[in-house]
Amino acid sequence: MNGYAASLCLAGALLSSAAAQVTYQDLLKADPANWLTYSGSYNSQRHSLLKQINTANARALVPKWIYHVPGAGRLESVPLVVDGVMYLSQPNEVFALDGRTGRLIWQHRREPAMRRGPNRGVAVLGNRVYYTTPDAYLVALDARTGSLLWQSKIAEAKEGYWAPAAPLVLNRKIITGVAPGDYGMNGLLAAFDASTGERLWRWNAIPRPGEPGGDTWAGDSWKTAGGDTWLTGSYDPELNVIYWGIGNPAPDFNGDLRKGDNLYTECMVALDADTGKMKWYFQFTPHDLLDWDAVEIPVLVDAEYQGRRRKLLIQANRNGFYYVLDRVTGQFLHGTPFVHSVNWAKGLTPEGRPILVPGVEPSLQGTKVCPSTSGATNWMSPAYNPDTGLFYVAALEGCGINTKSYEEFRPGGFPFDATGYIESPQEPRQLYVRALELTTGKLVWEFKQIGSRAYGAGLLSTAGGLIFAGCDQGIFTALDARSGKPLWHFNTGQAISASPMTYSFKGRQYVAVEAGSNVIVFGLFEDSEESTFGRTQ
Amino acid sequence: MRFQAIQCAVAGALFVSALLAQRNAGPASEANPLGHDPQAVAQGHELYNHNCTVCHGLNGAAGDRGPALGAGRSHVIRTDKALFEAIQNGIPGTAMPPFSLPATDIWKVVAYIRSLRATASDAFVPGDAARGEQIFWGQGRCGNCHMIRGRGGISGPDLSNVGGERTLESIRDSLTKPKQPIPGGYQPVEVVTADGRRLSGIAKNDNNFSLQLLDSHDRLQLFTAGELRQVLYAKQSLMPSNYDRVLKPSEFQDLLAFLSRQVVHKVERRRRSEEDDEQ
Repeated sequence: MNGYAASLCLAGALLSSAAAQVTYQDLLKADPANWLTYSGSYNSQRHSLLKQINTANARALVPKWIYHVPGAGRLESVPLVVDGVMYLSQPNEVFALDGRTGRLIWQHRREPAMRRGPNRGVAVLGNRVYYTTPDAYLVALDARTGSLLWQSKIAEAKEGYWAPAAPLVLNRKIITGVAPGDYGMNGLLAAFDASTGERLWRWNAIPRPGEPGGDTWAGDSWKTAGGDTWLTGSYDPELNVIYWGIGNPAPDFNGDLRKGDNLYTECMVALDADTGKMKWYFQFTPHDLLDWDAVEIPVLVDAEYQGRRRKLLIQANRNGFYYVLDRVTGQFLHGTPFVHSVNWAKGLTPEGRPILVPGVEPSLQGTKVCPSTSGATNWMSPAYNPDTGLFYVAALEGCGINTKSYEEFRPGGFPFDATGYIESPQEPRQLYVRALELTTGKLVWEFKQIGSRAYGAGLLSTAGGLIFAGCDQGIFTALDARSGKPLWHFNTGQAISASPMTYSFKGRQYVAVEAGSNVIVFGLFEDSEESTFGRTQ
Repeated sequence: MRFQAIQCAVAGALFVSALLAQRNAGPASEANPLGHDPQAVAQGHELYNHNCTVCHGLNGAAGDRGPALGAGRSHVIRTDKALFEAIQNGIPGTAMPPFSLPATDIWKVVAYIRSLRATASDAFVPGDAARGEQIFWGQGRCGNCHMIRGRGGISGPDLSNVGGERTLESIRDSLTKPKQPIPGGYQPVEVVTADGRRLSGIAKNDNNFSLQLLDSHDRLQLFTAGELRQVLYAKQSLMPSNYDRVLKPSEFQDLLAFLSRQVVHKVERRRRSEEDDEQ
């Protein structure tokens, strides 16, 4: 291994333009030319320092190439880019593409494949690409060929587990989560050795009786409790702590048999990256009855808060509130609604616990609940721009009608939600891009995605002063990060459900977004002559 | 219209013979009791030519009225048992009639059809696979270019599943015959960049406007047409074709035994275009 690494270093010295393997230092540095992690950097700010594309020239954006992913329905992954090579995924499949031309370099397909989706993206370290699978494996591929190197089981697929989230790569280890809590599968986070695939630690999201938090579950309800981990967390290398949002308790809409706060569902948890031991937790929605998974991306920001510079953790939660926490201690600092339609809680206590409005919970005849179970936001990534000091979020206004029933848990991977919800016809969903003041959550501007009544895309912020946003109408828009004014848009022709990203290669900046079954890459118009190869056979 | 008339005539004639035939309850076993026995395959071939060629074509290669059972295509009926039942009972709603052959003869035909589709892992390949593995990583130096289960080089195709997807004949040809077709993504190429650098490697992909190179240092290099002055394609693959000469016959056989047993998942051989349509 050392000899091999040494020969690669030698090759690197000979060929300065050659694609390099990704090191942990690269991940820490988050060079803006590359996009190396699901959220672009460990702090998950999704803010790129690239500014070749900016407020002055955004109107000159044109599509550069399109790659159609055969068989894809609705892509929800975030592509990664390493020195011009784009790694793209859908369930059971990974593609390596030339980031300037969209030409296929290799394609990996897992077989036999269990069909289940979505897949939310890959991770990279060294010469490896990692992804997780519908049958709950962590898979390592050779980044240059797509060859399978090893695979490690995260959880039992025959029990009902699967794994949709992009893995989080740390120094020499890979962190993965699981789904689906809605089937009564108990959530977990697991760390694997990045070289060998050996499991290093496992953290269980649901405590057993006798363990701290075990008394927040009545009777045997902890056994089929949910609390899954289906989006990628964030990492603070200084503290060596990972932050991960935990999903809903099960059964989703009936809490009669799971009395108690139901820890650690609906929590933000802080785990020691080396041991997986929990440092703190904060629960957003104790004893949730509305399937408001708290998996939304935790955004790590170091900022002035009440006169003191603090390490903050920000989350716009599916339950409609915007939270500011101290990420060293987990202390709740501030919380305020970021959508108008919130009817389930009057506000938050000084400790951050919701002050419930009695009766706003699923019932046999149906109860109106705002926001709806879709959530005030969801997997759509938010962004933070340190230049504007604004936090940007894809926000959904709207209400739902929630009903409840009684349901027996069935082992083997079946829904265990005890009925569900419909979107309220009186208060239909409406998608916005909202810019909030970081520490107060105060609305600074909003951009209404007219006609969009469903989940949208996540957001991308750039040092060019832009926010890129998409919607279910397929419109991809560049907004002025300071005012929310639209500067450019493009109709991709398919619903956008993924978060955009940006990269540069050989001096050109690109912006990529997945729309339906395609990935589309944009760049500034270049007025240059076409050239083709002069070939010698 | 004409085609339908022929179908009806053939089906009708065979329907009568089917009525006369004694109808069996079905095969006694899931898998062919005759296995891949070469003699059964040979006798099955004879029976096949006698009964099946009129619709399915000579040697199962192509048929006017029924699918080509052996050619590279997606097979609807894959298992021994399903093939047995299709022959014994026919396929309702199609021109495939029942055949009144004794069960043993049906199994022989099944053995023959399976042999048409067989990959190297189905064939009985004599030799010492453990010794073949040593040759693969050692004197054969195959591992310099090829990867098996995460170990080895990357300038040649990954062989982790070679026994499950290629025939023994094509593996043998790759090892011994020059000018074999170069698999997609492995075309050796030398390029001269606009600034005069010369690089060699394999083209993972290329067209008029760009080229994606895995260079001789195993690094991906991406070029647009304007960045390259010259592109030279080698006429032959990097794969040596003299293994039957550099290895002793027993060593060569051991290497074949090892390669034929490399199976991750078994796939039916299929045409690429059909595979795409199914997604």
